Parts: sequence; structure tokens; C-alpha cells
Amino acid sequence: MSSLNALLHKELRENIRNFKMYWIPIVFVIFGILEPISNHFLPEIMKSVGNLPEGADLVWPEFRGEDIFVSLMGQYQLIGILVIILAFMGSISGERKTGTATLLYVRPMSFSQYFLSKWIVVNAIVLASMWLGFFAAWYYIQILFNSVAAGEVFAFLGTYSLWLVFAVTVVLAFSACMSTGGAAGLSILVLLVFQVIDGILGTYWTVSPWKLSTYASNVFGASDGQSAYWMSVGLTAILIIVLVFFGMYMAKKNAAKTLV
Amino acid sequence: MSELANIPWNLILPILVLQLILAVVALIDVIRNQRTNGPFIMWIFIILLVNIVGPILYFIFGRKQS
Repeated sequence: MSSLNALLHKELRENIRNFKMYWIPIVFVIFGILEPISNHFLPEIMKSVGNLPEGADLVWPEFRGEDIFVSLMGQYQLIGILVIILAFMGSISGERKTGTATLLYVRPMSFSQYFLSKWIVVNAIVLASMWLGFFAAWYYIQILFNSVAAGEVFAFLGTYSLWLVFAVTVVLAFSACMSTGGAAGLSILVLLVFQVIDGILGTYWTVSPWKLSTYASNVFGASDGQSAYWMSVGLTAILIIVLVFFGMYMAKKNAAKTLV
Repeated sequence: MSELANIPWNLILPILVLQLILAVVALIDVIRNQRTNGPFIMWIFIILLVNIVGPILYFIFGRKQS
């Protein structure tokens, strides 16, 4: 247990030193603030820079606070996931390449604890950033739109958190499994391209991790298909556990690839 | 000037402050360790001139992991 503690400390210190602890929350919060503001002032922005023809009379849809949460989630689905992939694609493969791993692997440490320490710290950073971003958005939504029931917001954020944990686990497992470039490519395929595929062909099935974001936004409306929701949650949890064990196994197997 | 006064500064100020923090942290890091992928002068300009995205690009691609 104490070696897990030491590894956690090492991870924390590393993420402070390479500034990921600072810039990732700031980026999420900036997007969280921008989304309600730009939606609120959209009619005025379009009027001043939109190049609308003379006399054009557009009727803007009346946004509710809930819609802003969903559209912010849409931003995070692309930009947030991209930030997660790019920031953490090298967290294990990069250590193998730069030689940090040599210093680590000569010590008696278990690879499961090594992988777990990374998994815990990265998840903490990502989830804290995401929650901070949504709380910042919530504050602005209260001011600019209507107040949203707290219970719905927490149900929404909880569901979305599970999807982000899945995303982080995918990135780390691929990082343990192959080189940094390969990890980035495959993570983008799994997290972004599959999302699109699921969006297009997804009407044929109801249970998949990629549907979690849709289910999260359903919290705000009439929710139907409760069983499909819980099955997706269960499937995602199982996939996360499988990927964690896969990552531990690959981290150990690829230890020999470390450059000295 | 009246257009400037019309901008709801109290709403936008937090974004500007966060952008500033992001840029300053990136700048301090560039100037302090100067070992970047590509010339570090180029990164200084990217951080200063490209809003929000500039510092992010630096942190992702510009920093050399020691």
C-alpha cells in the first residue's frame, strides 16, 4: 500500500511540474464560461458580425438553461476529449521512451500499482476539471438563463463523469499498450470516431458507452428507457475494469521495451 | 466608446483573467527552461498572439518532457 502511496505522490508531483494540473482545469473552465455567454449574446453577435442581409429577421430559439448544459457537453465531447487524449497519450509510453521508466522499473514495484496510480491521478485531474467547468457554466446559467434543478444537474454530471472515466481508461490502456503516436491514433478512433458511428448507426442498439452522453442529456427531459440507461452504465463500468486490467498487463509486458 | 461601455465586462472579465493566467504560466515556462520543440522564440509569439489555443498548443506540443 505504501508503494502505491509513493507512486501517487510521484504522479502528483509530475503533473504539477508539467503544468497539466493548471492548464487543463483552466481550459475546461474557459469553455464552461464561454458557452452560456456566447449563447446568451448570440443574437447580438450575429447582428454585429453575422453579415446578415438587410431586413433579415431571424427568430432565435429560446434557450433554456438545460440546453446550455447539453451544448457545453457537446463542446467537451470534442475539445475536452481531444485535450484528454493529447495531454495523456504519452503518460506511460512517454516514460518508456524518455527513460523515466528505467528509474522506476528497477525498483520493486508492482505494475498494477504503477498503472493504478496513473489512473487515479489522471482521473482526478480530468473529473475535477470537468466539474469545475460545469459549475462555472452553472453559475452563468443562473445569471443569464433560468435556474436548473440541482438534482438534475448532478444526475447529468454523474452520468457524464462515467463516460470521461471510460475515456481516460481507454487512453491510458492504449498508452501502456503501444507507442505514443499509436495510442493517440487509436484513442481518437475509439473515443471520437466511434462516437460518430454510434450516432449514425446507433439506432439499432441501445446499450453502449458512447450512448452515455445522450443518456446524460436525457436527464433534463422526459426520461424513458431506464433499463437501457442502467445497462449502458453497467457495460461501461465492466469495460473500464477490463481495460484497467488490460493496461496493467500491457504495462508489465512492455516494460522490456524501455529505452535506457 | 459607447460600444465599449455596452460590453458586459463583469461577465467577460473572468475569461480574460483565465486567459491571462494561461498565457503567463506558459510564457514563464518557455522563458525559464527554453528547451522546446522548435525555436522557443516562435513559441513565445504563438503564446502571445493566439488566444487560448496558443498556450494549449505550447503545453501539448512545445514542451520537451525532460
